[in-house]
Amino acid sequence: MLLQLNNIFKWVNSGGQRIFLLKDINLQVEQGEFISIMGPSGSGKSTLLNVIGMLDGFNEGEYQFLEEPVHTLKEKHRANLYKEYIGFVFQSYHLLDDLTVKENLEMPLLYKKFKSSERKAMVADMLDRFNIVGKKDLFPAQLSGGQQQLVGIARALISNPKLILADEPTGNLNSKQGEEIMGLFKQLNDEGVTIIQVTHSEKNAAYGSRIINLLDGRMI
Amino acid sequence: MIKNYLTIAWRNLMKNKPYAIINIGGLALGIAVALIIGLWVNDELRHNSYFKNKEKIAQVFQSQTFNNKVSTGPAIPRPLEFALRESYMDNFEHLVMSSWDFQQYLTYGEKNLARDGNFMQRAAPEMLDLKILQGEKDGLRELNSIMLSKETADALFGDENPIGKVIKADNEHDLMVTAVYEDIPFNNSFHNTKFLIPWEKYITLQEWLAEAEDNWGNNSFQMFVQISENVTMERVTSNILNVKKDLSDEHVEYNPQLFLLPMKDWYLRSNFQNGKQVGGRIKYVWLFSIIGVFVLLLACINFMNLSTARSEKRAKEVGIRKTIGSQRNQLIKQFLGESFLVVTFASVIALFIVLLSLNGFNELARKEIVFPWSNPLFWLVSLGFILFTSLLAGSYPALYLSSFRPVDVLKGTFKAGRHAATPRKILVVLQFTVSVAFIIGTVIVMQQINYAKNRPVGYDKEGLVQIPTFSQDFEGKYDLMRSEFLSSGAAIEMSSSSSPTTRIWSNRSGFTWEGKPDTFQEDFAYTYVSPEYAKSLNLKIVQGRDFSRDFATDSLAILINETAVKYMGLENPIGVILRDTDEEDPDPPLTIIGVVQDVIAFSPYEPVKQAVYEYDREGEGSFYNLRLNPKQSASQNMAIIERVFKKHFPSIPFQFDFVDEEYGAKFAAEERVGTLSGIFTALAILISCLGLFGLTSFVAEQRTKEIGVRKVLGASVLQVWNMLSKDFLKLVVISCFIAVPIAYYIMNGWLQEYPYRVILKWWVFALAMIGALLVTMVTISFQAVRAAKANPIKSLRTE
Repeated sequence: MLLQLNNIFKWVNSGGQRIFLLKDINLQVEQGEFISIMGPSGSGKSTLLNVIGMLDGFNEGEYQFLEEPVHTLKEKHRANLYKEYIGFVFQSYHLLDDLTVKENLEMPLLYKKFKSSERKAMVADMLDRFNIVGKKDLFPAQLSGGQQQLVGIARALISNPKLILADEPTGNLNSKQGEEIMGLFKQLNDEGVTIIQVTHSEKNAAYGSRIINLLDGRMI
Repeated sequence: MIKNYLTIAWRNLMKNKPYAIINIGGLALGIAVALIIGLWVNDELRHNSYFKNKEKIAQVFQSQTFNNKVSTGPAIPRPLEFALRESYMDNFEHLVMSSWDFQQYLTYGEKNLARDGNFMQRAAPEMLDLKILQGEKDGLRELNSIMLSKETADALFGDENPIGKVIKADNEHDLMVTAVYEDIPFNNSFHNTKFLIPWEKYITLQEWLAEAEDNWGNNSFQMFVQISENVTMERVTSNILNVKKDLSDEHVEYNPQLFLLPMKDWYLRSNFQNGKQVGGRIKYVWLFSIIGVFVLLLACINFMNLSTARSEKRAKEVGIRKTIGSQRNQLIKQFLGESFLVVTFASVIALFIVLLSLNGFNELARKEIVFPWSNPLFWLVSLGFILFTSLLAGSYPALYLSSFRPVDVLKGTFKAGRHAATPRKILVVLQFTVSVAFIIGTVIVMQQINYAKNRPVGYDKEGLVQIPTFSQDFEGKYDLMRSEFLSSGAAIEMSSSSSPTTRIWSNRSGFTWEGKPDTFQEDFAYTYVSPEYAKSLNLKIVQGRDFSRDFATDSLAILINETAVKYMGLENPIGVILRDTDEEDPDPPLTIIGVVQDVIAFSPYEPVKQAVYEYDREGEGSFYNLRLNPKQSASQNMAIIERVFKKHFPSIPFQFDFVDEEYGAKFAAEERVGTLSGIFTALAILISCLGLFGLTSFVAEQRTKEIGVRKVLGASVLQVWNMLSKDFLKLVVISCFIAVPIAYYIMNGWLQEYPYRVILKWWVFALAMIGALLVTMVTISFQAVRAAKANPIKSLRTE
């Protein structure tokens, strides 16, 4: 088992009232799954993804990631955990505008203290695999949306994560680009990477092996 | 990793050039100011470091009490030497009696020069550890010997070997050159001592010098000592404190106290008030250090403000880095690294600024600072300084930026909270508080200088020239020279005096007069003048009459000044007789025949001292005072005077001073402070405004959309300008109200040191405030007006 959420609650207090963002979430994810989280705006999809990605905390419940109790870990441990095992893909790509494609890809490796030669090999490998060798010295602003997302995924993958979290990865793309990206996810999943994506589109959700529906912070 | 950081930092700078220029330029200015001040402070503190025995050398000072006021100075009587040599020599390694700095005419063959030097005892070269270039260190052994500084020797002898050659001093004494010593560098005591002649020679020069041997009351000499290895200055001071009091009965009433002033204090802490050491130049060292730190702080604040203001742009980067696995401390390191880069860059520019301006600064500050290229300590300190500044400027942005939570910033809707700008506002207030306080301080310094400058001096200092007449050659020539100068047409009046017009060279006590209170301890500034003195200076006689050659009795007549009338408590001063209190050999009694107007002969910041002018028929004074012919130009007059002078004294270098320039020199120290603080204030304001400029442009950019919407809805340019300016002007107003009391407190304290001082007026403060507001307004308006005038369609489309 990759991760397990037990009775997760998350809320904010607003004007004396408690507003629940997540309510009693119970979820188990096995290695190799491809899960789609769906639901209307404000139903807590992104919040759930952020909780799973350890970018956001929760108020109640338990979270086990690879047998580690995440809710009891210190910030630093948690960071090490997701640095090691999780890759993020964002709707608006979130590449660093001041760095070239190559440098963007290299960045996660820097934080993991890979040696220079290893980094070069891994970056070259990734450029090759995604067929973007020719773009390696361009800046994000010089790429199309689809290409940027490609780089975003390549960056998430470069350190061989066990889990990829994608928050509406095709939301800013046209349908053709979107299909390509989803095809890529499918392919990665076939290679053994676990993927959890947030999506609005039934079509994209269909790529996955399981769909989780959220409404007002509850799983239905 | 570091390369990655540097790449980001560099591209960030390049992408936003105006920001980079403001940031780096402002910081470079701040660092340059701090660096120059640092060099200056270092130079001040290293004063006298030329002397190997600096820690052990001291000068003997004496405090005496007259009319309950303690006056302190380096003048001591001759018998003290014998007393100390007899019973206190275990305290001292060396003891050196010395004259004051003396000007002598040195002649060798055709060459003659005027140089300052000293008569000192034999141990002087050893004590001062003079570096002997030629000849022997023990060069004061023989009576008729002289040691020359390198510069003097070169000027006299050129390529010739000076050792063993005989030169004439004051056209009178044959002295053999025994040694040439290295010139003592500029920032050291004895820098002006261009030669040394044995003390034993000095006391043969004039009768009174020899007679002073057993006179405890004649405080006309200096004594330098080097204390023994195993004693401290304090210890020696306590040993010798009462030596004079115990040995000289008649001076007990003045309570003479002797003490050592260590060499390290000569330059920086040589002021005394009522017998207590009260600092001196050290206060300027402190003042400028504080200014330097503040200017640097202002520049650092700019860096902090602009970095945090742009944080929304950097927030995304922080978020991404964090999700990819960066830890907070890595981000802190990254941002500190960026500030290190910027500071290093700014430091390099600052270095160039310093190199370019060092000459000008030296001239302004009367310094000879050379850039310490080869000093490893300097580079070490500089590196430390860069690190420190990076930390100072980068710590706040680093902590602030690295604290963002990725979930917040990556949603794409991140806006810094309502209070995010508060620290920025506080920093702006701090900047302008410092700037406004600087403005007020500078204005008050300038006012005080002007106030003292405009004080009536009591005589006509324009068109007055003084010529020193120290040599024996001038003896008996006064009448001849006077008629020569007058008939040449270059001068319309001439007199002689024993002190220069702008100084008091001698003080005298030991008089009694009718009605003098028993316990009154009198002390007069005392000058011997020829009968034409008042006429040549255009001095007004306010009571009685001037000296006259027609009255034979005038040879025992004196003039006193107005202050002296009050001081002596005389109702009707004319005819009052001053008698010498010396019982064995009294000078003849002197009669007051007139009262002259007060003359500022000492400090223009202090009250005029009570003065007595004694009739000197022969004109044996130390200066000729010439009133130039106003119908001719000064250069014409001086050319004629030089020709006449050279005709009679061909072997004496022609020297002269314009009295108004000499008088102006009294303001030099204050003027230097005024000019320097003026420059630093201007820089402080410039730096603050740079920062404000950056902030307004940032705010204008941030609110582009808002401005667009407002304009579409009908806001005028003026309304938009008002909207953008209001916030900043408020901050500056707050700064003004903080700065005024602080500046008032500090400047009031500074002025207390001057008995004659300007009264602080409220309008100075108002003016400084208005000035600061105006400058702010102009700065803000640049950006505000541009933003307000922009076409709203454009700004809305870009969103």
